[in-house]
Amino acid sequence: MSRRPHASGYFRTDYGEDLALLPTRLERWALVGLLVALLGLPLVASPFLIDLGAQVFLAVIGALALMLLTGYAGQVSLGHAGLLAAGAFTVGILFKEFKAPFFVTLPAAAAVGALLGVVFGLPSLRVRGLYLAVSTLALNFLVAYLGGEYETRRGFSTGIVVDPPSLAGVSLSNPKAWYVVLLAAAAGTLLLCANLLRARSGRAWAAIRANETVAETLGIGVASYKLLAFVWSSALTAVAGALFAYWRGFVSVEAFSLFLSIQYVAMIIIGGMGSLAGAILGALFVTLFPYAIEAALGTFARGTAYAGVLFAVNAAAFGAVMIAFLLLEPQGLIGLWRRLATYFLLWPFRHRPAGGGRR
Amino acid sequence: MQLAVNILVLTAIYALIACGYVLIYRVSRVLNLAHGELMMLSAYLLLWTASLFAGHPLTAIAAALALSALVGGMVYLFLLRKLTGEMALAAVLTTVALGVLLRGATVLVWSAQQQYPAQPLGASNSALALPGGARISVWAALLVATTLAVYAALFAFLHWGRWGMRMRAAGQNPLLAAQRGINLHAIYALAWSLSTLTGALAGILIALDSGLGQTMAIIGLKAFPAALVGGLDSLAGALLGALIVASAEVMLIHFVDPLLSEVVPFLVLIVVLMNRPWGLFGTREELDRV
Amino acid sequence: MACRMHGAALALCLLAAPAAAQDTYTIGLTGALTGPPASTYAPAVEALRIYVDGLNAAGGIAGKKINLILQDDAAEPGKATANAKKLLGQDNVLLLLNASLSSTFAPVLAEAKRAGVPVLFASSVCPKEVYPPAEALQFCSTAFASTYDSRATLGFIKDTAKEPVKIGFSAMAIPLSRAEMDFAEQQAPGLGMTVVGKEVIPPPTPDYTPFATKLKDAGANWVFSWAPWVTQVRTLEALRRLDWKGDYIAWAHIEAEGELARLKDGSFYVIGANALFQDQLPIHKEIAEAAKKARVAYPVEQLTEGWIAGMVVEAALKAVGWPATPEKLAAAMSTLKIDTKGLRGGPIEWTKDNHFRTQQYYRIYRWDTSKGAIVQVKDWTAFQVK
Repeated sequence: MSRRPHASGYFRTDYGEDLALLPTRLERWALVGLLVALLGLPLVASPFLIDLGAQVFLAVIGALALMLLTGYAGQVSLGHAGLLAAGAFTVGILFKEFKAPFFVTLPAAAAVGALLGVVFGLPSLRVRGLYLAVSTLALNFLVAYLGGEYETRRGFSTGIVVDPPSLAGVSLSNPKAWYVVLLAAAAGTLLLCANLLRARSGRAWAAIRANETVAETLGIGVASYKLLAFVWSSALTAVAGALFAYWRGFVSVEAFSLFLSIQYVAMIIIGGMGSLAGAILGALFVTLFPYAIEAALGTFARGTAYAGVLFAVNAAAFGAVMIAFLLLEPQGLIGLWRRLATYFLLWPFRHRPAGGGRR
Repeated sequence: MQLAVNILVLTAIYALIACGYVLIYRVSRVLNLAHGELMMLSAYLLLWTASLFAGHPLTAIAAALALSALVGGMVYLFLLRKLTGEMALAAVLTTVALGVLLRGATVLVWSAQQQYPAQPLGASNSALALPGGARISVWAALLVATTLAVYAALFAFLHWGRWGMRMRAAGQNPLLAAQRGINLHAIYALAWSLSTLTGALAGILIALDSGLGQTMAIIGLKAFPAALVGGLDSLAGALLGALIVASAEVMLIHFVDPLLSEVVPFLVLIVVLMNRPWGLFGTREELDRV
Repeated sequence: MACRMHGAALALCLLAAPAAAQDTYTIGLTGALTGPPASTYAPAVEALRIYVDGLNAAGGIAGKKINLILQDDAAEPGKATANAKKLLGQDNVLLLLNASLSSTFAPVLAEAKRAGVPVLFASSVCPKEVYPPAEALQFCSTAFASTYDSRATLGFIKDTAKEPVKIGFSAMAIPLSRAEMDFAEQQAPGLGMTVVGKEVIPPPTPDYTPFATKLKDAGANWVFSWAPWVTQVRTLEALRRLDWKGDYIAWAHIEAEGELARLKDGSFYVIGANALFQDQLPIHKEIAEAAKKARVAYPVEQLTEGWIAGMVVEAALKAVGWPATPEKLAAAMSTLKIDTKGLRGGPIEWTKDNHFRTQQYYRIYRWDTSKGAIVQVKDWTAFQVK
């Protein structure tokens, strides 16, 4: 099921090869190289860059979960920030009330996420498209209200402080260690999503996305697979939120706004719908974007005049970039990459051969 | 009695904002989630025209309204028209991105401080006494009157005006309408202009009544459930939906817990979506996948 | 090379030498320069900046200049943490200032604690750790203070009221404002007042009338609001539109002076810890001149809080001498006395246990419709901070 363009001489002879994640040697070596580079980064980079890297990995987990739901299963969700908040608050509440350790809070966060996924996935059985997106909007406001209530009633008006997770007395507070942990979490999520897509669930979702009625006639339980998509996506997002709470050491309702939901949707659009690599690229782009804008403004001499309105410049530029991608490159960064790769692979030809060409 | 007046004012606010959502959805099946931000932009434009036409409040307001209608038409012509043929989600997300862009742009131009357009216009905000011991501010009363006038005008336009009938035709069956010779792009641009115009009226009146800040965009979002409850393609439904949501909100504030007022519109939304997704008066449509 | 930036200029910073210049004091600030709450914090940061620029122009502190690095966090905890990490780890600041929302405190404090660098909260709300018994590294110069504000206000109401007080409260639906109004609600009965209502208003409300209706119907003759300025003023306006004739008192945020003139309401009192510009003290003229020279975009009345932060920074750096380390600075700040030249009711005094101030002074103003100007209703009242 590989949709990547490959050079000539690449043949698949059994289903195992068809399903393989890294069929060619080049891809395997590329992955090794990437891992070496990522693991080597903390050794040479400044603490600021390591922190940035950790932020990117957290965003990747959330983006992958959303890609699963919206890009593959075709169910629009605008309530992602609510799920992140749910995961973070689960950790915060369990920590503050019961001093629960991380191996209790993380599964609990996943469970809470799954539950919310079922509750907010139920409308997807009756409505589709725009109406579904709108019902997920409500998720944002609901979780914000509940979180604010908890903070006020229990006296944590400035937020809940969470200790770093510890095991047998060793607590995780070194930024470099966090970097590796979050890298592992992101890699694990990627593997999980890839496997979900390679398995029966992935095929069912593709069918549902293409045409629900036909999928139903083919015997695919549309309702149960839709809910499954919501459950997996929400559980993963809640875990991302929980990891965020531990990494930040702090939970407060202001961090999870509607704008955060929009950012995650932007990640999968800019990255390219229907592609896990797109989710990663989108997460990278959206996370680094504000810093790039700051750097760009900083290099202009007049840039300092805009320091006072940096947030507004960010928002304006972000909206503009999102519109640009929607108008000009609906397939996102992955679309750009594919076009580039195809160009070089097919060179000196411009198009694939008419008959019998590798898809 | 004051309670009834409060409900009336909030209903008028939500109804005036909701008819913007309905106009665009009915005609082009696109959900304009940037309506709140466009409303906010119009109110900021009033600040600008107020300084241009200092001493002539009516001219300033009229100029701001005209500019807003122009902005609405331009949004369609330069942005949404390029998305013809793409999936509906792309159009919605484009409006979301536009909303983000507008929020940033308004802060860049006018700063994030609270503004009071009533000041440069030299308008005061006194209160009128009503029977039963209730009171209503002048601008709020004007808002209620405007909402009624706008709805009456829209009903008349859609039912008897030539372009109104064309709009309805385009909304019901775009393909047939196009083959009949109706210029769909012009119709959609007109719908966007009218929608932004009604939003501008709402935004300007709210800003004159109580001030202008970045929260106006969220107020626009809060009115969306009102449109949905009544049916996204029904004007009468928008009125009724606004009444339901506003009553629920004011009653809950008065009798239960003021904090709920932020969440209530969306709770109503979920309840309606679960039971009757097409709203009270909306057409029972296929609710196509995105 | 002084790496002065307004943002994480990655390229520049990686290439440039670290900001460890020989003869300067390096201090860093993370603040909400942009973002929704920026209108509260940005003027203070601007005032601090022109104060430090003025100091440097006059030769600095004993010949050493101050390098003030400003970082914007847009009131987001994530950005604030990144700023703190950069200022502490890369720029090696002596002192970290916070001018942002309280949600940025915890992560910034964690970083500062790890680095052993003192944190000064300037224009952001004072956390409870600066009150006695104070935490070693946290200091606060901000005017408003939870619980003391309510006590002062309720005391004033009790003294001024001519008839039995039926008091209503108005809060914004943020934890800080709600907590303060809850506290005031508890204290009021003890002073012989009847609490008739407490409204908690979400920020994006198009119409404040329903909330005002409840307060009016409950028969309040006094209303106290301790919340961001928008909530305070819109509740008042809604009440007046309902023809409510009672007295209203609210915290004097930086917008207060300008707004009193706009509202022209004779029964609207503001209570604050900073002297308003209409008092025309010599220090006010000094600030106005500096602001004009630097062409500051904000109205000059909004610069008081930041100017006071500048005075604190100057006093702290003078006290620590040279060479300076964070530990020495923290120790010096623990026994500091700063003369505010009339901007506050008295000097800001810190002790080992009290990093807030030993005395908190309040003044109350209102608009006098007959004079067409702001008048002082009650002069400095001191509260011992224990």
